[in-house]
Amino acid sequence: AAGGGKRSRLSRSWPTGPSKSLSGARCCGATRPGRTRTGFCNLGQDEFLDVIYWFRQIIAVVLGVIWGVLPLRGFLGIAGFCLINAGVLYLYFSNYLQIDEEEYGGTWELTKEGFMTSFALFMVIWIIFYTAIHYD
Amino acid sequence: MSTMFADTLLIVFISVCTALLAEGITWVLVYRTDKYKRLKAEVEKQSKKLEKKKETITESAGRQQKKKIERQEEKLKNNNRDLSMVRMKSMFAIGFCFTALMGMFNSIFDGRVVAKLPFTPLSYIQGLSHRNLLGDDTTDCSFIFLYILCTMSIRQDAYRSMACQAVPCPHLGSEPANPGPPKWNVGT
Repeated sequence: AAGGGKRSRLSRSWPTGPSKSLSGARCCGATRPGRTRTGFCNLGQDEFLDVIYWFRQIIAVVLGVIWGVLPLRGFLGIAGFCLINAGVLYLYFSNYLQIDEEEYGGTWELTKEGFMTSFALFMVIWIIFYTAIHYD
Repeated sequence: MSTMFADTLLIVFISVCTALLAEGITWVLVYRTDKYKRLKAEVEKQSKKLEKKKETITESAGRQQKKKIERQEEKLKNNNRDLSMVRMKSMFAIGFCFTALMGMFNSIFDGRVVAKLPFTPLSYIQGLSHRNLLGDDTTDCSFIFLYILCTMSIRQDAYRSMACQAVPCPHLGSEPANPGPPKWNVGT
């Protein structure tokens, strides 16, 4: 395994070290009844970008499956993915988490984090499902 | 299962294997070496030290303090550069292996339609997506196009999930971010 260590399971650590964090009323204060987001409030900068990255990959897989099954063809499919991917993430970090985008290099940096990889993954999934269901 | 869909799945499988092979080669040549581990620990230590110093520094801090920080930043930059140089030899090995593999796969899949595209690619991309294929149907997908897409996604995801605990992950810009403590622990 990378780094020379063997682990028993896939796990995630949420360090609360001295690195920049999402702490502050702006993040922790915007909670819905019965729900806490303190886990996110202790995230470092890099960890938060990881969350954005993997959230993007999940959206890419889900949309790729849906678009391939429907099927959605052409430029409309590609544009739809780009809008939904960027839009959902934007709503997530600006409305739901209410973070200060400037702490992470601005809205553009957060929007492009993992975007190309998610786009490639979306294309692969879309092509696979389209080929399997409509041409197999 | 038709031949075409079998080819599609085969190419995804090849992509996964080559991504793992690339990470394996990098691990053998780079991650497990003492030099790399020492440099990585040094970079982490310096990053944390620098961050702590920057947090405590005030606007009225003396020139000496600021010069000290600049020296530490220079040292961190040099160590990051050495880290990149150590990774470079794995890149040559991977490049060499993959050139040979690509030649082999290209000859195996030459002229075969491996998937159907749900869109018509732009004209300058058709040179890649319709490479060595007969006919005018631009929604026919060639091996190389699908392989590139798979590699772009799978290799990056594999790198992110496995290698990132050994390597500082570049997030913003080209400089590696503060590595911090391990982010992901990958099980066997």
